[in-house]
Amino acid sequence: MRKTWLVAMTEYSNAVRSKAFIIGVLALPVLLCLSIGLQYFGRKNVDIRDRRFAVVDRTGVLFPVIASKASERNEKFVTQHGADGKSVQVSPKFFPELFDPAGTNGGNAEVALSDRVRREQLTGFVIINTNAFSADGGAEDSMSWFTQTHAYSELPDWLERTINEEIRRMRFEKAGLDQALVRKLTRNVPVKRLGLAKVNAATGHVEKARETNQFATFAVPAGCMFLLYMMVMSATPALLNSVLEEKMQKISEVLLSSVTPFQLMMGKLFGATMVSFTLSALYLASIGGLLWNMGLLNLVPPALILWFVFFQLLSLLIFGSLFLAIGSACSEIRDAQSFMFPVMMLVMLPFFVFAPIMQSPGSSFARWFSLFPPATPMLMMLRIAIPPGPPWWEIALGVALTTLFMLGCVWAGAKIFRIGILAQGQAPSFGKLLRWIVSR
Amino acid sequence: MISESNTGPRSLAVKLAGVTKTFGRHTAVDDLSLAVPAGSVYGFIGPNGSGKTTTLRMILHIFHPDRGEIEVLGERSTRAANDRIGYLPEERGLYKKMTVRRVLTYYAALKGMNSPDAREAIGHWLAKMSLEQWANHKVEALSKGMAQKIQFISAVIAKPQLLILDEPFTGLDPVNLEVLRSAILEQRQQGATVIFSTHDMTMAEQMCDFVFMIYQGRKVLDGTLAAIQSGYGADTVRLRVDGGAAALRGIEGVQLVRDLSQCQEVRCAGDPQDLLKALAARTRVHLFEVARPSLHDIFIRIAAPAPREATHA
Repeated sequence: MRKTWLVAMTEYSNAVRSKAFIIGVLALPVLLCLSIGLQYFGRKNVDIRDRRFAVVDRTGVLFPVIASKASERNEKFVTQHGADGKSVQVSPKFFPELFDPAGTNGGNAEVALSDRVRREQLTGFVIINTNAFSADGGAEDSMSWFTQTHAYSELPDWLERTINEEIRRMRFEKAGLDQALVRKLTRNVPVKRLGLAKVNAATGHVEKARETNQFATFAVPAGCMFLLYMMVMSATPALLNSVLEEKMQKISEVLLSSVTPFQLMMGKLFGATMVSFTLSALYLASIGGLLWNMGLLNLVPPALILWFVFFQLLSLLIFGSLFLAIGSACSEIRDAQSFMFPVMMLVMLPFFVFAPIMQSPGSSFARWFSLFPPATPMLMMLRIAIPPGPPWWEIALGVALTTLFMLGCVWAGAKIFRIGILAQGQAPSFGKLLRWIVSR
Repeated sequence: MISESNTGPRSLAVKLAGVTKTFGRHTAVDDLSLAVPAGSVYGFIGPNGSGKTTTLRMILHIFHPDRGEIEVLGERSTRAANDRIGYLPEERGLYKKMTVRRVLTYYAALKGMNSPDAREAIGHWLAKMSLEQWANHKVEALSKGMAQKIQFISAVIAKPQLLILDEPFTGLDPVNLEVLRSAILEQRQQGATVIFSTHDMTMAEQMCDFVFMIYQGRKVLDGTLAAIQSGYGADTVRLRVDGGAAALRGIEGVQLVRDLSQCQEVRCAGDPQDLLKALAARTRVHLFEVARPSLHDIFIRIAAPAPREATHA
């Protein structure tokens, strides 16, 4: 055990001193900060150049409304007051112009306006047909927006909203209906989502059901699963490289003159486990701090953290053993690629099925997938994090099956490792690996 | 096969009895028995792929024999003695990204050495090998010769009772080679048993108390150098004549010529005096020495039975 611990500590020490670990620790927060920073910077640096557009108004009545609304928007809604009290323009101003098709001297209005858009005199143009007021539309398009900058949606969205409001108003007016009354009568009734009421055993009072939190319902389970995946991926594939490198540089031969293959393998496995736990401790502490700061810490029950740690351990031992076995059996990284694929598929399996499981965590689909040992740690974690969680027997069965599977992986991994670590030359076939596992 | 029993009153550091190791259909070591006396320097020689490294790995219990028994430092068929064994593998195995001091500390700890002792021993050995200034450098910064010396330190740092060195002199310049040779002999003087494999026959002749040769997995030589040489008779003549190897052409009784440029080595089937007369009749003889065959010659005779060089009947 002393030697296993020594190997583990050296592995751990080598890993946490490496650049890869520091990058691993900083990657997520840096990417998050970068993303937030860039979005903030992007928002602060929006393109506020004036947007000119043409209106071909075949109804003959909508252009004045568009012009009036654009003018109102330009005056009231494109500026914001900054912290220093100064007003800052945050959105471009819209300037419509009425286009008279008669002015094209018999030419095509669309072609003439498209040319102006290409010359960047206009952002785009809108054609409003006479059927816009018709309640059932008709065969012809009521309204069309033409532009060469399709990604820019603020102007067409505003146009659609503004014109539709006016058309609706005019329709109601024509039908003799009061628009305010219609709005009242067609008000949506929102559904308030609540948990369950219960009787407090101590006081005997009824505790009212609490409103469910969308963050707790979706972000916490998904976050737990993604974090678990990240922790597994941050430590276990590196074991393959580590053992392959030691094998290629003949370090393993020196080590094996002092330790048994099993001690070496378990030392590496424990070392990687400690690396992963260090990383998860840093992440969990940071996320916990963030939630505490936002007053949301109560959404993550302590039991969930314990389950996370337990499933992390199981995942690391399962996938760590498999990656170690592959690394020991191969002599080149190229040979290891073909063995990595099926293992990576097992690691990623929960991602293919997590969406339907989040929708129906109690379905038989969710149950059977979460009882498939390689996927159990992540999927059972996901189900436990979604209130009220799976029945206890499913958790117990999942834990038992996965623990057995983990022991099987470590045993098979050790058998492969024992032979593979000193084997040279061509990588073995899957059949040969199986023979190594069953050999004495 | 020449064999001299080493099972006298001296205690044995290593004893192999009927050991066989196969890999698939290939028999790497076949029914090998060997007794290495404690405190001796035992040379393992043999062509590439003959089973030397496999035998060394079995002594270290890295490989387990399919048949037979191995006893090392009194421990039979277990790894219990491994902490008392120092090992230098044929291909050097050092962590490139670790500093010299960390690598040595790690390897010493794996042999059960505590930190203060390891620190002191590292300082001693680095000074001895003139490598103190490299202690805090990464291994990847070392030259090949320096890395080899560090690997040697890692093998001896824990004061092993048995030192196993697989090709320790490969790639060393003469100065470093001499440093390493002295260090190995010093280990023997301090009571360690040294087993080393080599392709350098001269080095084996100079350093080894016993020589063991393995060929195609089987033991073909085992004993002191003198005993081995006497088993091959005194049929070797070392000579230097005007005209070199060409002057020997056509002389009856000359079985093999090894042309060493400045002198020639001849295997004489008949009376060496007849050869001397024949040579004197045709050229000027500067050197004529009847000698026992060198280890190199014996190696060639075993590993390359069909003469590769000029044969004159």
